[in-house]
Amino acid sequence: MKIKSFIPTFAITLPLLLAGCATQTTYVPQGSSRLVTSVGKINIQDFEQASDKMVTSLIDNLINEGKLRSGDPNEPALLAISRIVNSTGQQLETDLLVKKIRVALNRTGKVQTSTTVGIGGAEDQLAADQQKAQEFFEDKKHSRLPDYTLSGKIIELRDKAGSTRQASYVFQLSLSSNKGVAVWEEEETITKQGKKATVGF
Amino acid sequence: MKHPRLILSLFACVGVTLFTGCKTVNTIEPAQPVAERDMLSDKRVVTDSTLNRKVRVLGINQATGLGGFLKIQVELQNTTSRVQSFTYRVEWFDENGMIINLPTKTARPQTMEGKETISITATAPTDRAKDFRIKFIEPTN
Repeated sequence: MKIKSFIPTFAITLPLLLAGCATQTTYVPQGSSRLVTSVGKINIQDFEQASDKMVTSLIDNLINEGKLRSGDPNEPALLAISRIVNSTGQQLETDLLVKKIRVALNRTGKVQTSTTVGIGGAEDQLAADQQKAQEFFEDKKHSRLPDYTLSGKIIELRDKAGSTRQASYVFQLSLSSNKGVAVWEEEETITKQGKKATVGF
Repeated sequence: MKHPRLILSLFACVGVTLFTGCKTVNTIEPAQPVAERDMLSDKRVVTDSTLNRKVRVLGINQATGLGGFLKIQVELQNTTSRVQSFTYRVEWFDENGMIINLPTKTARPQTMEGKETISITATAPTDRAKDFRIKFIEPTN
């Protein structure tokens, strides 16, 4: 057998075969339908869907209906973020939900968010200190009380039938006026079924 | 035929398997609807004819609220007798035709029962949004 004649063929095909075995990492754009989906946890697209639903509901029921009120007629309504309770068994960063809502509301031009008023202190301590210093030097009150506060809860429900696992994630949000009345409330349930994590949904 | 019972059982099993998931939807609505819809003429680019055949766009109507935010509603029909899943994404454009990007931008999964007609709605994220584009994609898995 002329083994030597096979060597160049091997030399050419082996790198090609090995190249196909390399692990590929690809970028997936935001909002893509090719993101990893898992039953056992809240994926990034679940936060995007929930926040999208919340913003749409806020626009439909409050902003587009002209029901949003601002304490200062020349300024957009001021929103402060209250407590978002995580009642799931997972460690969650609730800002993945809240920040998206804040950004989207800010872009409507009808709502602004306070970074100096919040549960457990100011979100931006430097801004709060600056505000206090300005009030001290000018001997004039600059701080404006929020017109609305946003609070909520994330709940998880799990179920199993045979090898099929199901998880429901319930996102609940309330917008309260400074009179302590819930002027808007919304709930979004995302239910996922499956046997293992998959790509795409 | 040596085992007629066995063959019958096999047929029964195959039949049950085939017809499971073929539940269709019966609907009822007023013969003369009170609501008047502002239907839009649309332009369609179909690259996935299979999905287009299975999930048909019946029409798009739009409305603008007091705040000036555009709201659209797309009526879809599952032309098959089986459950159909797809994802859709709505993109919004300002008066200059520039896309409006937001962190809430997402592909929404949707499931339709056999022969079901549904309406999906979307509201513009800002009153600057004047145009839209909707994309329908079949699930990856």
